[in-house]
Amino acid sequence: MAAVIETVELKKNYGKHEAVRGLNLSVQAGSVCAFLGQNGAGKTTTIKMLLGMVHPSSGTGSVFGRRIDNENDSLLIRQKVAFVAEDKRLYDYMTVEEIVRFTKTFFPRWNHDFERRLMEQFDLPPKRKIRELSKGMRTKLALLLGFARGCELLILDEPTEGLDPVAVEDVLQIVVSMTAEGTTVFFSSHQIVEVEQIADHVLMIDRGQLVMDAPMDQVKEQYRHIQAVFPDPVDERDFRLPGIETIQAKGCAVSLVASHNVDSILEHVHMLRATNVDVVPLSLKEIFLGKVKARS
Amino acid sequence: MSALLYKAWRETRVRFLAGLAAVAIICIFQIEQHHTHDFSHSGWAGLGIPDDYGFFLWQYLYVYFLQQGWALFAVLLALDGLIREKASGTVSFSLGLPVSRKRWMFTRLAVVLMESAALSLFVVLVVIVGSAVIHQTFSLSQVFLHAVLMVAAGVIVIALGNLCYALFPGNYRSLLVALALLGVPYLWIQRHVQRTRVTDLPEPFRARAALQLTRLRVPHQPWWAHFDLAHAMAGPWQLNLTTTPWVALLVIWTLTALVLAVTAAHGDRIDY
Repeated sequence: MAAVIETVELKKNYGKHEAVRGLNLSVQAGSVCAFLGQNGAGKTTTIKMLLGMVHPSSGTGSVFGRRIDNENDSLLIRQKVAFVAEDKRLYDYMTVEEIVRFTKTFFPRWNHDFERRLMEQFDLPPKRKIRELSKGMRTKLALLLGFARGCELLILDEPTEGLDPVAVEDVLQIVVSMTAEGTTVFFSSHQIVEVEQIADHVLMIDRGQLVMDAPMDQVKEQYRHIQAVFPDPVDERDFRLPGIETIQAKGCAVSLVASHNVDSILEHVHMLRATNVDVVPLSLKEIFLGKVKARS
Repeated sequence: MSALLYKAWRETRVRFLAGLAAVAIICIFQIEQHHTHDFSHSGWAGLGIPDDYGFFLWQYLYVYFLQQGWALFAVLLALDGLIREKASGTVSFSLGLPVSRKRWMFTRLAVVLMESAALSLFVVLVVIVGSAVIHQTFSLSQVFLHAVLMVAAGVIVIALGNLCYALFPGNYRSLLVALALLGVPYLWIQRHVQRTRVTDLPEPFRARAALQLTRLRVPHQPWWAHFDLAHAMAGPWQLNLTTTPWVALLVIWTLTALVLAVTAAHGDRIDY
């Protein structure tokens, strides 16, 4: 599969603050790629750099093979990309139907049938001013304006924020159906349950650096929580092995998070004469929290 | 393109309508002044210029009050753009569309220019109606030409207003900076070149005025007189192809192009 998004050592500094620090990421065509990270980790800055809204301090990036730091290329990128921003702020003086009419003029491949279907499904009032819409309705409208563009890449920044559970489910189903039709989806979210539900690839960013880049299947299969009890107290240094992400040693007990190499790690644990060993799969949330805590 | 024009119009129309009301009030007030006051003893009358209604319109509208009112609203209309959208939170949506920043800027400025021109032409309509009410006649072509000249020379007001908004975001801050940037040289130049205005008078009034103003020494204009924006916007009383201040207009258009280029370059560098 070809890479739709690629960045090489991408950096963004705001004064002395390094928002993004040498990011190398790649998003494959046709995938649903989740972009996870805490608030202020650099997700939105990265997305804005991809769309030419923020200029990289150094490094390079491309979307559909076009450079993100070139104004003409950026314009061509945005013809193929539908972006739904985190705050979902739209022109509040326009009505719903006015902003739909406004937006569709920029996208020759606008999907009119899909637009009508989403208007009904989201129960959006065409004549109502945007300033009179609730936050949830505004989010639905912003998503409609993104989904109906007929674009090849959908970039969503916290797409389900402010939506009720039913609407969240609707949106996730739409994203999945669009992927089935060949659209690549790159989305950031704090809702890890949603990410687990639809993503097939996970990128995790922490303080501007990529800390995980793996297919979801691999994450689910390979990440393991290993808890072991030993007859004598153990030291963290005894467990510095390839594949171990975090180590917490307390007296005779140790808790490990392994991203790969689990068999070798278990062999090592048994070699240290562990009396009791438990191996359990980890949820994405636990992995995320583990990564963030380990780095802090 | 039409969608962008429509959006810019929606965002500026309240200010535009306020501008229409303001220029109408200025015109009606001045026309009413002419109707109720005797100007035959005014300073201009002392220079040998008769109580001419056309001269009155030029002097009180295009040289002073209307010009200043129009310039104020041209600045107000120009205080807009992606910077304002950054403050209101809609810039991510706008820049997510396949539209370059320069196109956003120039489309918006095109709308502001059209609105400014409409303000100026609206004045012609008000003058026609107002003059009919007070039973005065005037040269319609002269009023129209002055309206066109005011916009042609006033484009720099729009460009500077927009630059000020880009460099000093915030309605009040940018307005104050723009007014200072335009107002200080405006007043300073006015103070020094006021007397040269006599040269704008057609004969025989110019000769009479020159005789009466014995201190008048205007063999040639100083170089900075080409930056006399008020003079360029008002033009001479009798405006035609030969009396149009072409040099001043060329200077203004060159400066406007420079200001627009700086604004566009600055806009391209901003992180949203």
